[in-house]
Amino acid sequence: MISLNDFLVVGAALFCIGLYMLLTKRNAIQLLIGIELMLNAGILNLVAFGKFDKINNSGQIFALFAIVLAAATTAVALAIILTVYRKYKTIDPGRVNSLKD
Amino acid sequence: MGTFQPYQQALTICLALAAVLLPLLAFIINACLPGRTNKAAGWVSTLAILLSFVSAIIIFSKLWNQPQLHWQFKWFTIGSTNLYAGMWLNNHSVIMLLLVPAIALPVHIYSTAYMKHDERYKRYFAYLSLFCFSMLALVVADSMITFYVFWELVGFSSYLLIGFWFTREKAVMANKKAFIVNRIGDVGLLIAIMIIFVQSGSFDLNQLFGSYGLIAQSQTVNGLWVGASATVPVFWQYVACGGVFLAVAAKTAQFPLHAWLPDAMEGPTSVSALIHAATMVAAGVFLLGRLYPLFTPTELDVLAAIGCFTAFMAATIALTQNDLKRILAYSTISQLGFMVTGMGIGAYASSLFHLVTHAFFKCLLFLVTGIVIHQMAHIKEDNNLDIDPQNILNMGGLRKKLPFTFMTALIGAAALIGLPLTSGFLSKDGILIQSVSWAEQRSFWHMLIPVGVIITTGLTAFYVTRLIVKVFFGKFKLEQFHPHIKYHISDGGWQYTVPLFMLAVCSLFPIFSFNPFVYEDAWVFSGFSTETGLDRINIFHTIIPVGVNILSVFVIYFAYSVYVKRNSWSAPQNSFLYKLSYNQWYFDAFYNKVIVGGVLMLSRASSWFDHKIIDGFIHLLSNLIIGLSKIAAWFDYYVIDGVSRLLTFIVRITSNFIRYFQSGKIQYYLFSMMAVVLVLFIYLLLDI
Repeated sequence: MISLNDFLVVGAALFCIGLYMLLTKRNAIQLLIGIELMLNAGILNLVAFGKFDKINNSGQIFALFAIVLAAATTAVALAIILTVYRKYKTIDPGRVNSLKD
Repeated sequence: MGTFQPYQQALTICLALAAVLLPLLAFIINACLPGRTNKAAGWVSTLAILLSFVSAIIIFSKLWNQPQLHWQFKWFTIGSTNLYAGMWLNNHSVIMLLLVPAIALPVHIYSTAYMKHDERYKRYFAYLSLFCFSMLALVVADSMITFYVFWELVGFSSYLLIGFWFTREKAVMANKKAFIVNRIGDVGLLIAIMIIFVQSGSFDLNQLFGSYGLIAQSQTVNGLWVGASATVPVFWQYVACGGVFLAVAAKTAQFPLHAWLPDAMEGPTSVSALIHAATMVAAGVFLLGRLYPLFTPTELDVLAAIGCFTAFMAATIALTQNDLKRILAYSTISQLGFMVTGMGIGAYASSLFHLVTHAFFKCLLFLVTGIVIHQMAHIKEDNNLDIDPQNILNMGGLRKKLPFTFMTALIGAAALIGLPLTSGFLSKDGILIQSVSWAEQRSFWHMLIPVGVIITTGLTAFYVTRLIVKVFFGKFKLEQFHPHIKYHISDGGWQYTVPLFMLAVCSLFPIFSFNPFVYEDAWVFSGFSTETGLDRINIFHTIIPVGVNILSVFVIYFAYSVYVKRNSWSAPQNSFLYKLSYNQWYFDAFYNKVIVGGVLMLSRASSWFDHKIIDGFIHLLSNLIIGLSKIAAWFDYYVIDGVSRLLTFIVRITSNFIRYFQSGKIQYYLFSMMAVVLVLFIYLLLDI
């Protein structure tokens, strides 16, 4: 039987992998993948904790909302990456440093 | 002829003013004329002095032996003292008023030719006119203040003219020397004026020194000098006399202050003739005559002794000099010594008489000298010789080349020696005879003065003959040294001959007296003499002139035979006496060593004191202040600035550290955010 702890461990592992990717990768697409991993770790937790609400299944429903929202944000993020690429001719976030003063 | 009509008086005063101011006008016109060598300058000055001369003749004819004329106006007031300026015309001043333009006129005419080729022709005449103005104003001045002003002005114009050729080093040295020596005298005169003013409360010469003036009335009682205004210790009377004597000695080149006159011969010869032989140097004697009542009998004895010593000393120096003008300069000093002696022994009239006659014949001799030097300089230039045109050893035999000059020179020389039929005979005998009869009434030592005067007369005869013989007789030495030289020299045009002729006539007896052998008959003498009926009371009046003239003739013959017939004989040139005379009694060397050296030493000592002590103290102070400020600067830099710099350092470090996070890279922001979250998380974990 898969216990709640197993879900939480997998979620935490996914989150850490996503975070690691976010911090280390030199490609914006990979960053986006890292973000997706972290988001999915959160969704996994929502689904795992959803067993405590068997009546309304609010965990599953909220997970669905989150997946839709994640798809939307991914689309926006891809559009941003495309614009960045047009402007800087690169998608390496280390080279895009005009956020500083 | 007791009183003048007022309008006549006014006319005379206007004439006198004109006589004085015309040369000043000429000076101003000359100063404004364009061009450096404007030939008009000469004629402007000459015309001015001619008009001045004519007015002086008119004044003279009106005022000679007449009651004096004193005119003055209030000049300004200081406190309660009124200062007047004006003119005091008595016999004493009108004769000088006549004499100065009478000498100056021939000199002006002569100068128009003599200075013809000078590049500063105009300036020369401007200076000459300035001098004439100052001298004329000096003789008529009625107040000690105006007298002093013109006394200074005369000294100043003399300074300008001595240094006229200021590109020559020697001329500059000479005019400096003359000016400095004259300053000594001027200080003396100023002191005397102040003392007399304090004692009698007046500057007015007429009031002070006129007949029965304040000075004549003041008495010496119990060591006090009682005057009209104040009673002062008699010591101040001596100081005043000493001051006047210094002034006289400086202007008239008497013994301690005579050294400037021979050097003053660096000026143009015409200037030497006018200023340093005839007029300015006589100003001292004139001053003595004006202030005569000031002197007590003892002071007059001192005056006589100094005059006699000067006369003797200068005559011995003149014996061995080889520079033509220098011989005449020493002869002038010697003759001025005669005049001062005359004043000292009370021969007031003879002394002034000698002043007048001396002016003419000495001016004549100087103008002759000028011609000779001019011709020698021509020969020098034409043949490119390296000679001194003033050295008499190069001359000789010029009587054939310059016959007219020679004749006038003979007359001048005869007058200087004092041979009969000349004016010099009349005036010199006056001094000689009066000195003998003066000494006769006194002690043995007083006899030294007439003896000295008579010896000097003999010496004068010798050196004058030597001069004439070396220049005009014998063979032309320069031709002997340089046989191939070519020369053509002559007496020169009328501008040379007319002045010589005028002065030569004035050096003969008829101008002064119709009886050529008796000086008492001379009108100049009788104009000053107060004695009447005392004439010829003793045998001296016959013996002295005869004896002195026999002596002179003998000396002349001796000199003539030494220098013409036996040309080989010469004075032992290594003897002490010869060296003493040749080196001018070592006065210059002595003054250089003692006075100039002393002043230099004093200045060096002051300079040392200034450098080492005063500057040293100031340097010490400044070093102290520099040290203090260095400490203050250190404190400021390291302590006060240090605090603020430490603060800025900390801020900089901190901000640099913080800035490090703001790299603009999105992953770094993320990383730092995570780090902070981690830190907070750990903190919370540990805390709980």
